[in-house]
Amino acid sequence: MRSVKRGLRSFIRHPLASLAVILLLFVCLTLSLSMLAVRMAADSQVEEVKGSVGNYAELRVSSQYQMEVFQQQRKQDPAKRQAEARKMSEEEVLAERAQLMVPEELVDDFSRQPEVVSYDKVLETRVTLPEIESAELASTLSLRGGPSSGALSPSEENSFFFEGNTDGASASDFLRGAKVLAEGSFYTYQDYLQANPVVLVEKTLAEENGLEVGDTITAEITGAQGRDSEMELTVKGIYETVEAEQEGETRDPMAFNPAGSKFYAPLSVVQILNGTPGYVELGCYYLDSADSSAALQHKFQDMVINGTEGGERYELATDYSDFEAISEPLHKVARTSLIGLVGALAACALIIVLAMAIIVGGRARELGVLKAMGATHRQVLLQFAAEITCVCLVAALLAMGMSAVISQRLGDWLLREDALATSEQEAQSGQGMPVMGFMARNLYKEGGRFSLSGSDKPEVKLEVVYRGGLLAYGILILLGISLLGTAVPVVWINRLRPARVLAME
Amino acid sequence: MVAVEQGNMADLLEVKEVSKSFRVKSGEVRAVDGVSLRARKGEVTVILGPSGSGKTTLLYLIGSLERPDAGEINAFGEDICRPDADLIAYRRKRVGFVFQMFNLIPSLTALENVTLPMDLDGVPSEEQRGRAEKLLAGMGIEGRLLRARASRMSGGEKQRVAIARALANDPDLILADEPTGNLDSASGRVVVDILAGLARREGKCVLIVTHDESILRAADWAYQMRDGKLRGIEV
Repeated sequence: MRSVKRGLRSFIRHPLASLAVILLLFVCLTLSLSMLAVRMAADSQVEEVKGSVGNYAELRVSSQYQMEVFQQQRKQDPAKRQAEARKMSEEEVLAERAQLMVPEELVDDFSRQPEVVSYDKVLETRVTLPEIESAELASTLSLRGGPSSGALSPSEENSFFFEGNTDGASASDFLRGAKVLAEGSFYTYQDYLQANPVVLVEKTLAEENGLEVGDTITAEITGAQGRDSEMELTVKGIYETVEAEQEGETRDPMAFNPAGSKFYAPLSVVQILNGTPGYVELGCYYLDSADSSAALQHKFQDMVINGTEGGERYELATDYSDFEAISEPLHKVARTSLIGLVGALAACALIIVLAMAIIVGGRARELGVLKAMGATHRQVLLQFAAEITCVCLVAALLAMGMSAVISQRLGDWLLREDALATSEQEAQSGQGMPVMGFMARNLYKEGGRFSLSGSDKPEVKLEVVYRGGLLAYGILILLGISLLGTAVPVVWINRLRPARVLAME
Repeated sequence: MVAVEQGNMADLLEVKEVSKSFRVKSGEVRAVDGVSLRARKGEVTVILGPSGSGKTTLLYLIGSLERPDAGEINAFGEDICRPDADLIAYRRKRVGFVFQMFNLIPSLTALENVTLPMDLDGVPSEEQRGRAEKLLAGMGIEGRLLRARASRMSGGEKQRVAIARALANDPDLILADEPTGNLDSASGRVVVDILAGLARREGKCVLIVTHDESILRAADWAYQMRDGKLRGIEV
């Protein structure tokens, strides 16, 4: 304790030397702690992103297979095709209709992977509702008109899009907040299991047609004839579209997504209406983490592509590229900050060692006097250790305060520099152009096939928050530098010959 | 008389055939060459010699700051050349050094410099201050000088503080290396009188190495050192 007191006294009595070392250490420690804070923030944000992006996968018919089917159909004579269709059995008709769909059983089987936390099945189709009219749809169709829009627009004014899944509340549009329930309730998983003929209707469309919750709508079943060709659907809920208002300015005005034309119903009901029982358009899986994406791809390869007859027609589309797009800049920032951290720590080490060598060298006579008085090595070292710790502590405290102020700016700057470098590289290589069109990757999670979200670059932000872990690391750095600084007097005291330094004039 | 004859070992510093060599670029220098001497408590022993004669090395050998290559040093019944000798305790309790360059710690005050050896020896803080003030008063350092930094004192004041520091733990042996070397003649006389007084009044064994022959006036025993060898001279 006496040695520590002597060390504290010595720290106070050598203000100029202490101040010089404190200032140098302050600069390097500020940089070290800021880099550490940025690194920790980047790492933690990557982990956070893993839970929400990159953990989604979609089992669906591959775009390549779709192209092949379209090309084959185009080659065939339409009249001949119609003649052949008339001769088809019911099973053949179903197979024909479902050739661009996925068996529901396959989607269910694949959901049993341990990485899958939850899953849903989706089918989107057009259904004719003879009693329902949409002024907005009619106006959209009349404006768009022309043969070029035929592939995307419904053929009749009362043909509407129906989206079916297992639970209304988990439909992508409602999960994303693009649509909100205004009246009534969502259809449930029970409705799906029991194929209850219920439906969610858009508010404007409901008002135009005088529909309220509990009212019924008649829908035509595709391919069915006679008594069973229609189904009565009960309005279970009415929703509002907020998507058009919120995203109206940023959306492509040519993208076909008439606000009021979409109905949501239990998957089993939509399957009946589409005449494709047992088939879905896609199965969507939410994984435990983005880290599971690659493992699931391997399993998909083994189980579906290689283990299922005709499995090569399917693909497992994921949003892992979104995760990469978000995490890559963060990874780069983490790497840069690590290099900065190592450099700053090395500078700290160099400063403390050089400073202590100068300080202790200048006080060699004092060491000799202490030894001549019978001071033990321990007493001398404790004195110097206390002195060094004081210097490092003051520098570390100041550095912590300063790094709390500049860490966020440093993180933003690193992120900006990385973005600039990336955009320059992309400009040089001609990459980075948005992918447009029907064959784009568009995932159901992002709004489905008509979404343009696939072309949007996810915005990356770095939030540097001071955590307890940083304080612990700060203390470790402080201890490390103090120990390193103490090593200098350790070497000196062991090599010192008091007789020589005391005899010096 | 040229040498101490016999006496009680507890009162006696005895150096027997001590040698010490140093390696230098040009070869080996025998700084101390088979030196023997005896000094007793209550007496002042002076070793005269020019620079480089080996007298300071001999002093540091006696003070245990150097280890001899050969020979024995028995300080008041304790062989300090033994491998298991407690040199820490010897330096703390038995020896007090006075240097030509004073070797005070410049950042400390006069009082703090004197309490330092006591602090290292674990003397309680309250006791340290009283003893240090008394010792400094004995050397004529009082009042504001007590709190003056060593770096701001005159040479004479520094040397008196250094003597007070040497006496802090009440050692048997005072080893003074050119104590007047950096002082004017008046201050030098005061310092020599103080050292002689320590031997006469307090029974310390005072060993002074110097090239200043005027110090011989205070000596009970005197030696001449030349080229590492020692011979007794008349005082």
